[in-house]
Amino acid sequence: MKKRRLSILILGVVLGCAAAQAQNVVVIVNSGVKATAASSDDIRGIFTGDKSSLGDGSRVTPVTLKGGPAHEAFLKAYVSKGDAAFRTGWRNLVFTGQGAMPKMFDSEAAVVDYVAATPGAIGYVGKGTDVGRAKTLAVR
Amino acid sequence: MFRRVRVLILASLCACAWPVLAQDLSTIQIHGFATQGILYSSTNNYLSANTSAGSLAWTDGAVSVSDTLSDKLRVGIQLHMYQLGQLGGPNVQVDWATGDYKFNDHFGFRAGKFKIPIGLFNDSQDVDAVHLWALLPQSVYPTDNRSVLLSAMGGEFYGNARLGRKTGTLVYRAYAGYRALDLNGGYVKSLDLDLEYIDSVFGLPTTLITSAPTGKVFGGDVRWQTPLKGLLIGASAFDDDVHGSAGPLAFAVGRNTATQEYAQFERGKFFVAGEVRRVPVDYSITATTPPGQVTIPNPLDWRSWYVMTSYRVTEKLQVGTYYSHFVDAGGGQNTSLSGNYSKDWTISARYDFNTYFYGKVEEHSIHGIDLGYYSDSNPNGLQPRSNVLAAKIGFSF
Repeated sequence: MKKRRLSILILGVVLGCAAAQAQNVVVIVNSGVKATAASSDDIRGIFTGDKSSLGDGSRVTPVTLKGGPAHEAFLKAYVSKGDAAFRTGWRNLVFTGQGAMPKMFDSEAAVVDYVAATPGAIGYVGKGTDVGRAKTLAVR
Repeated sequence: MFRRVRVLILASLCACAWPVLAQDLSTIQIHGFATQGILYSSTNNYLSANTSAGSLAWTDGAVSVSDTLSDKLRVGIQLHMYQLGQLGGPNVQVDWATGDYKFNDHFGFRAGKFKIPIGLFNDSQDVDAVHLWALLPQSVYPTDNRSVLLSAMGGEFYGNARLGRKTGTLVYRAYAGYRALDLNGGYVKSLDLDLEYIDSVFGLPTTLITSAPTGKVFGGDVRWQTPLKGLLIGASAFDDDVHGSAGPLAFAVGRNTATQEYAQFERGKFFVAGEVRRVPVDYSITATTPPGQVTIPNPLDWRSWYVMTSYRVTEKLQVGTYYSHFVDAGGGQNTSLSGNYSKDWTISARYDFNTYFYGKVEEHSIHGIDLGYYSDSNPNGLQPRSNVLAAKIGFSF
C-alpha cells in the first residue's frame, strides 16, 4: 500500500513537472491553419517527424528554436527528450531519407515572424512573447 | 548609352530573379557527416583491418541533398563512401535516392533507392552520427556485411494509424525491390574466399567475383508506439535471395524469410532496447568442373539477439553497454564451437563537443570467431577470444 502511494506520488511529481514546463511555452501556428487546439500527442508527433498533420487534418510544418529556456521547456513538456537526443532523432530521419530537418531560429521573434508569414508553419515561443499575427494553439 | 541600358536591364533581371531564386533554394537542404575511427585488437585482426597493430582504415562520409517541392512531395539523394580495412574504398555509392509522396499521415509512397526498414537500426546502421555506439551489436548489424540489406531499388509504402487515445499508434512500412551487392563489401569478400577454396579443391584457376551479385528483396515492418510514452514494440519480416557467378562457379542464396522482433523504451536520459533476429539461409555453390556440375549445399541458420542500455549523464556525455549474441545453427552444427558463435560484451561512451563534433570510445570483449573475421587477414589462424578497442571522431551538419 505504501509502495503504491509512493508510485502515485512520483508519477504525480513527474507529470506535474511536465505540466509546469508546458505552462512556460505556447505553441503557435500560422493563422491559415484551421485548428484551434491539438493534443499533446499530436505536438510530439509533429516535432519528432512522426506526423505532418494535426488531429483535424490540418497539414503543418514544424520550426524550432536553436536553444534557450523556451526550447528546453518545450522539449521537456512535449517531446520528453533533451536537445541532443531531439537533434539526433531528426538527423536519423534526414540521413535515412525519411524527412527534412525543421528550420531552426536563433530568437523567438524570428520564430513568430516566420510562423506568421508561412502557411502551415507551427512553432513555439515562451509564454508572454508577443505572437503578432501568428495564432496560439491550445494544447490539451 | 547601350551599355548603360544593358547594365540597367541586367540589374533589373537580377533584382526580379533573386527573390524567385531565393524562394526556390530555401527548400533545399544539404546535410552530411564524416567520421574517422581507429580499431585496436588484442589478438585477431577484426573486420578485415590490421587491427592487432592498430588500424586507422575506418572512414565514413555522406552528403545528402533534398528538396521539399510541395507539402506532399519531397525528393532527395544521399551519397556515401566508406573504408573499413580491405572493404569499401574511395568509390562513392548512392546510399538512397527517392521521390517521396505523402498523401497524409496514414499513407505515403517512396520510390527509387530506399533504405530497407528492418528492426530498430537497419536503415541507420551506416549513419554513425546518430548512434552512441561506434559499432552497433554485430550479431544483428554486422558492419562488414551491412550493404547486403541496407537499401534496395524499388518502392515502399508507409504510414501510421492511430489506434485510439489509450491504445497508441501503429506505424507500418512495406516494400519490394532488388539490390546489387557491394563488390567491395564483406559479403562478397566472404564469397570470394569460399569460391577460392572450391577452385583449389577442383583444381580450377582462381576466379573472383567481378560483377555484383543481385537479388530481390521484399518485406515489411510494423511498430507499435504504445500508450506508455517512450515504449515501442515492433516486428519486421523480409524475404530475399542472391545470385551471382565467378568464372565457372555459380552461387545462389535461395529465397528465404527472416524475422526480427524488437522493443525499445526511451524516457528522458534513459534508453533500453533489445532485438531478436532469425535468418535461415539456403546457400549453395554450383561449380562447373571437369567431371561435371557439382552443387555444394551450405545451409545456414543465423540466430541473433542483443540487449542494450544507455544513459545521458549530461547533455554532452552519453554512456552505455550492450551484450550481443550470435550462433549459426545451420545443418545442425555444434554451436558450442568458437567458429559457430560470437558473443560480445561492450561498454561505450560518446561525447558531443558541440552541435557538430563528437567523439566515441568503446571496448569490446568478443568470444567466438563466427563474425567479423576473415581468413586472409588472419593467416596464422584465430584465437577464440579477442578484445577490441574502437574510437571515433565525427562531424555532422
